[in-house]
Amino acid sequence: MERKIGVYVCECGPNIAEKVDIDKVVGAVSSLDGVVVVEKYKLLCSADGKKFLEEEIKKHGITHLVIAACSPKQHEKTFMEVCENAGINPYLYQLANIREQCAWITEDKDEATKKAIRLIKAAIGRVKYHSSLEKKEIECNPAVLIIGGGVAGINASLELASPDRKIYLVEKTSSLGGMITNFEKTYPSMQPSSHILKQKILDMDKNENIQVFIDSNVEEIIGFFGNFEIKVKKKEVDEPAEFEVGAVMLATGSNFFDLKKTPQYGYEKFDNIFTALEFEKMNLSGEISLKNGKTPRSVAIIHCVGRDEKGYCSEICCMYSLKFIRYLKDKIPDAQVSNFYSDLCIPGKSYQKFYEQTKGKNVDFIRSTNVEVTKKENKLSIKYIDENGNKNSLLVDMVILAPAIEPTSDVSELAEIAGISQGDGGFFAEEHEKLNPVSTSTDGVYIVGCAQGPKNISDTIVQSGAAAGKILASLIPGKKMEIEVKTSHISESFCIGCKVCISVCSYGAITFDEAKKISVVNEVICRGCGNCVAACPSGAATSKHFTFKQIHQELLEAVK
Amino acid sequence: MNKPTGAVISAKSSTKKSIIDFLEKAMDKGVFDAVIVPMRVPAGDSFAYVLIKDKSLFKDAFPIPPVMFVQGAKAVSSVTRLGKGNMKIAALMRPCEIRATIELAKLGQTDLENMTLISMDCPGVLPTSDFLSDPEKGMKQFDEAAKNLDDKIMRPVCQICDKSSMMAGDLHIGTLGAKKDTFFVISNSQKGNDILDKLGISLKDNIDSWHAKVKNISEEKLKKRKKAHKDLKSEIGGLDNLLDAYNQCINCHNCMRVCPVCYCRLCYFDSDNVKHPSEDYLQMAESKGSIRFLPDTIFFQMGRMMHMSLSCVSCGACEDACPVSIPVAQIFSMISDETQGLFDYVSGRSLEEPLPLVAYKEEELHEMEDAND
Repeated sequence: MERKIGVYVCECGPNIAEKVDIDKVVGAVSSLDGVVVVEKYKLLCSADGKKFLEEEIKKHGITHLVIAACSPKQHEKTFMEVCENAGINPYLYQLANIREQCAWITEDKDEATKKAIRLIKAAIGRVKYHSSLEKKEIECNPAVLIIGGGVAGINASLELASPDRKIYLVEKTSSLGGMITNFEKTYPSMQPSSHILKQKILDMDKNENIQVFIDSNVEEIIGFFGNFEIKVKKKEVDEPAEFEVGAVMLATGSNFFDLKKTPQYGYEKFDNIFTALEFEKMNLSGEISLKNGKTPRSVAIIHCVGRDEKGYCSEICCMYSLKFIRYLKDKIPDAQVSNFYSDLCIPGKSYQKFYEQTKGKNVDFIRSTNVEVTKKENKLSIKYIDENGNKNSLLVDMVILAPAIEPTSDVSELAEIAGISQGDGGFFAEEHEKLNPVSTSTDGVYIVGCAQGPKNISDTIVQSGAAAGKILASLIPGKKMEIEVKTSHISESFCIGCKVCISVCSYGAITFDEAKKISVVNEVICRGCGNCVAACPSGAATSKHFTFKQIHQELLEAVK
Repeated sequence: MNKPTGAVISAKSSTKKSIIDFLEKAMDKGVFDAVIVPMRVPAGDSFAYVLIKDKSLFKDAFPIPPVMFVQGAKAVSSVTRLGKGNMKIAALMRPCEIRATIELAKLGQTDLENMTLISMDCPGVLPTSDFLSDPEKGMKQFDEAAKNLDDKIMRPVCQICDKSSMMAGDLHIGTLGAKKDTFFVISNSQKGNDILDKLGISLKDNIDSWHAKVKNISEEKLKKRKKAHKDLKSEIGGLDNLLDAYNQCINCHNCMRVCPVCYCRLCYFDSDNVKHPSEDYLQMAESKGSIRFLPDTIFFQMGRMMHMSLSCVSCGACEDACPVSIPVAQIFSMISDETQGLFDYVSGRSLEEPLPLVAYKEEELHEMEDAND
């Protein structure tokens, strides 16, 4: 096929024109092989600009298009649409970034002009080797599997369930509600926690689009975004339940740090030392008392238990410790409460106020290190080093330990089943800490709540809403899903079956054909990251739209 | 495994004959169904690997021949490339051939489950061309040199080989440090232990003299190797010098064809990816004034270094095959010592050691970052 390359240079108002001699650029690339037309334009992304481009493509019979303008992040899609409207394949175009990577960062106009010419020549060199790629769509199942029946899972179920979207909620214990069911109240409103859950659980029961499995574990998740096959096993039932979903949400919560690893706090060695969870339960049962039935007059709350061992701050311990002070003051108004902390974590618009209101008579905050609990007669002795480096001690009736939050014991197993990885602290790893905190490296698998890292109830709800939103936006009942076009491909004649590609694929997109002894890419799962292309020792793996030839030609022009 | 243990076997006639007897006995006891071993061709001027099923043919077997016409790993891979099969096969090879086999196993090119790898102390290999000029003389010279541990007539890359007694397979036959008319059988794996157990050979003998001799030779050779690499580096370092080193390359790709770890079905450099339209050549000629043909000669060499240096075992097959005597194996041994060193990797040392390319370690390669700061 004869290539007719059209090159259009955008002035981007003054953004490019001020720093790049556009006429010189146009002149420099006009006579290149295959180039039939080079034009400049004030603002190609404007409505007029797009119309101009469309007409030009048709008028000159342009087969391959080069636009020299801004970053592809900004307008790559814009000009792909122009291509489609003008009747050429949108992958037969290349965008040369002469704004962010040239005009904006080059002081000297001559230098910037030279660089712009190089970048455009590179784009022309590359576009010659572009091939048409066709958009692909797959049928998908709108149903969602949610693992974990705590507040995150319940909230997401209710957000997502509808007559055309079935929700399967799998809970490993015998009831819904998760961690919150142990709490009498939640901070900072000090409203009963049943307010948050009770109505929601009732709503769940009524909703016929939600199927709840209790006493059950997910055994298998195979497939890809839009089409996962699930096996769920209920305790003491032989046959697992099997069903299909389009997306998976892991809302499996967290665990508390094992206090055996910090013997200095005397847990399980002396009486009247409780974990935060044990204290919540005691408070919920109605009465706060010592083992001998008496009411404690003095209580120490030790923060940051296990923080050094885990290497991270568990975010919520300071706030629930403040809540414990409220519990104590409600039930034993004259109790002396001493908090031993290393840093106080009380962020956000309402927590500071809660802290100010909790401080006061008979409530101490002691910044301390090397905290140790021993027994002294009928009391517990807290030895510590204070802020000034002095050794000190304090006698109390009761000690509450605030242990670090850590992943649940089955986190590795679940990560393996769901095909995702574990990140900092062993929690499920998000795709991007800031930009994609609920997505994972596997498309269609989301992580929410404490399964992703320690967090409070509000943030947990925010995350479950965010993941639900992502699913609602991408997995639409009755609509096919567009999949990545720029996938990798493994040549049957080049592949020698060494499986190196399989070991570096982050998405599980490559399988091994035992009969032919070669690797095969599942183009539905492949995200086109290029790992296999880089690792393949035989040059059998290529990335569509990033072929060796395309990159070679682009570089050849860029460095010539 | 702890320090490998071994047994002293007494040789009734020649060591060679006793080693063959050992293999024969193993076949009699059903430990192996077949053996891959080098054999001298009837004309006497060449050696080939054969898969022996008929024991009577053992008389022509020739462990550690003076030349390496075919790298043993290629033989093993040919037999098991498509799966392990039902037969239990032993392969008796040089340590570098065993190591290449292990690299191929990691690359899915051979299945070692039913395979027993037996290495032997290697005195080196004669350059193919030297041997072919007078095979009978070559045989005599090789025997003499092997006896006296004199490597001067061996290939240059053998003279700087510090892994000539490296145990990477299941069993190793040691001749160094052995008393007259004896040799050592040393086990390096559970599989090796089980086989010796079946043969009634207990691993209780003192083999310290072998360990000591091997240590002595390796250390000496390593010194020579480092010195040789240093000299070579100053000679071929930099693109201009490298181009000079490959000036005579005729682009025959022999080095690639004989390389045991160059296992691709079709070499990238033989593919359409490196064929360009004439306007591209014109463009290249225009930008540089001229372009040399055949093109891509140095590109091929560097590409091969990129692809294979992490698995290169310095066996020297490439240099033997080079018709214009480019010191390919010496260059590769230098490059691969450096690239493998970056990952604390030694090609073919152990089947359990993952290929650096597929093992991700967050901490690695920081020294490279710093170099760029």
